[in-house]
Amino acid sequence: MSNLKVNFLGKTFSNPVLTASGTFGFGREFNEFYDIGVLGGVCTKGLTIKKRLGNKSPRIAETSSGIINSVGLQNPGVEAFIKNDLDWLKSTGTCVVANIAGSTLEDYIAITERLDSTSVDMLEVNISCPNVKEGGMAFGVEPKNVENVTRAIREHTSKPVIMKLSPNVANIVDNAKAVEFGGGDAVSLINTLGGMAVNWKTRRPILNNVFGGLSGECVKPVALKMVWQVHNGCSLPIIGIGGITKYTDVLEFMLCGASLVEVGTANFTDPYASYNIVKDLEKFVAENDVDINDYVGKLIVD
Amino acid sequence: MKDYNIKIVDNKKIANKIFMMEFEVFGEFSVKVGQFVNISLPEGKHLLRRPFCVANFDKEKNTITIIYQVVGEGTEILSKLEKGTELKALVGLGNGFDLTKYKKVMIIAGGMGVAVFPSIFKSYPNIEAYTFFGFNSKEQVIMEDYMRENSKEMYIATADGSYGYKGFVTDIAKAEIDRINPDVIVACGPEPMFKAVKKIFATDYNMPILISMERRMGCGIGACLVCNCKVKVDGKDEYLRACKDGPVFEAREVDLDE
Repeated sequence: MSNLKVNFLGKTFSNPVLTASGTFGFGREFNEFYDIGVLGGVCTKGLTIKKRLGNKSPRIAETSSGIINSVGLQNPGVEAFIKNDLDWLKSTGTCVVANIAGSTLEDYIAITERLDSTSVDMLEVNISCPNVKEGGMAFGVEPKNVENVTRAIREHTSKPVIMKLSPNVANIVDNAKAVEFGGGDAVSLINTLGGMAVNWKTRRPILNNVFGGLSGECVKPVALKMVWQVHNGCSLPIIGIGGITKYTDVLEFMLCGASLVEVGTANFTDPYASYNIVKDLEKFVAENDVDINDYVGKLIVD
Repeated sequence: MKDYNIKIVDNKKIANKIFMMEFEVFGEFSVKVGQFVNISLPEGKHLLRRPFCVANFDKEKNTITIIYQVVGEGTEILSKLEKGTELKALVGLGNGFDLTKYKKVMIIAGGMGVAVFPSIFKSYPNIEAYTFFGFNSKEQVIMEDYMRENSKEMYIATADGSYGYKGFVTDIAKAEIDRINPDVIVACGPEPMFKAVKKIFATDYNMPILISMERRMGCGIGACLVCNCKVKVDGKDEYLRACKDGPVFEAREVDLDE
């Protein structure tokens, strides 16, 4: 029987399509185009305990089939999100995944505790922001640190904890295992790849921050590989992220082991991208009479 | 909000590396001076749309005109598109200029910044415009006839003196402002021009100075937070979004050193 619903960490998602943190704000801008309640879920813009202004402009550069950003976690702070956006976002009917970031273990614990008593459905923990010196990257590289921050968060919330993994590490499978050891419930991957863009005429980097995070269709092969590796090396459920632009990309990620996916950069190319992927998947499962969950991890490798 | 299908009806070179494109919009739209459109490129390796100010629009033909300079791969591709090519566009983005309260409007624009202002007469037919356009040299002078026809007064300056007044557009404007006594200054151009506008007029005069900022953009609709401008809100520095909170800001509130 055809089915697009996915049960993930005790919650039923109407479909496997979420929007990736930082590409969708808190959903309001896209809700002017379509009812975002059709999405499986929304991962919020990365939240920190205190409001952050972020990096200086320019913050974006385009590269072949990709973009490089260095926003630097600009956000109004967790209190402003709870006060101004959370109830509205929940009212759309989509699952709300609060993406959180910090620069110290205490920051992560404080924001976790603050969100524990709210209506957010899950936490996605950014331990891999490449654009902020103190953006959690210190926690996202070494497996031991990944385990420690996971455990600290785990001890302070009863909500499902998803750790968002960086691809800029020695071995992403070790980091996924570290999440497992630390008591995390799931992993999402990949965050952006480190990159830079240069203007040869001015002899300057395009980004004010020099380095940024690469995303978009060009990172999909890297993301597929890492999802498949983590699927084979770790038993945690996976949210696949990286260059998803069309519904067949979702199927590819699911075959490699992802139970859910996040759509990011494609939202910039086409404001309806995530909506269209959901609608195309609905059509796909109906026409082929399949359960989307049957794709998870079913890649055939001889 | 809507993502419109558009069709190019004209795309021609009007000066060195500068093109004017008129496209038909399928569906009813609303735009005003200072707002912009975000246009998709033909499918390929370019993921981002390209934002352009609405140079002009025609509600009878249901068309919008943009004026753009070829500065990179995206504009290069656009410049080669033929009539009849269909693209997608987000239309009427940003706040635009709110000139409902004003009669005498002093327009100061430099280089490609002049492309913002032809639509001012469609959006505000009752204004009295005093137009000051600056260019580097004669071969870059665009939109002169249309602006002259619709403005009460029109001045052109070139940096090299090859056309009109020799010097900076801000200096010509400075010489005329007391006589004109405008209700508002509107400006668009390179940041050094904004700095000059601010330096010359912001403290000595009380009228609003509205400037349209340019930034590299991502989504164009306010979600991605890459087009930040440092602007004072209630006396405190904030990063506002050029695409959604702007691109038009009061010059006195904008930190142009960033």
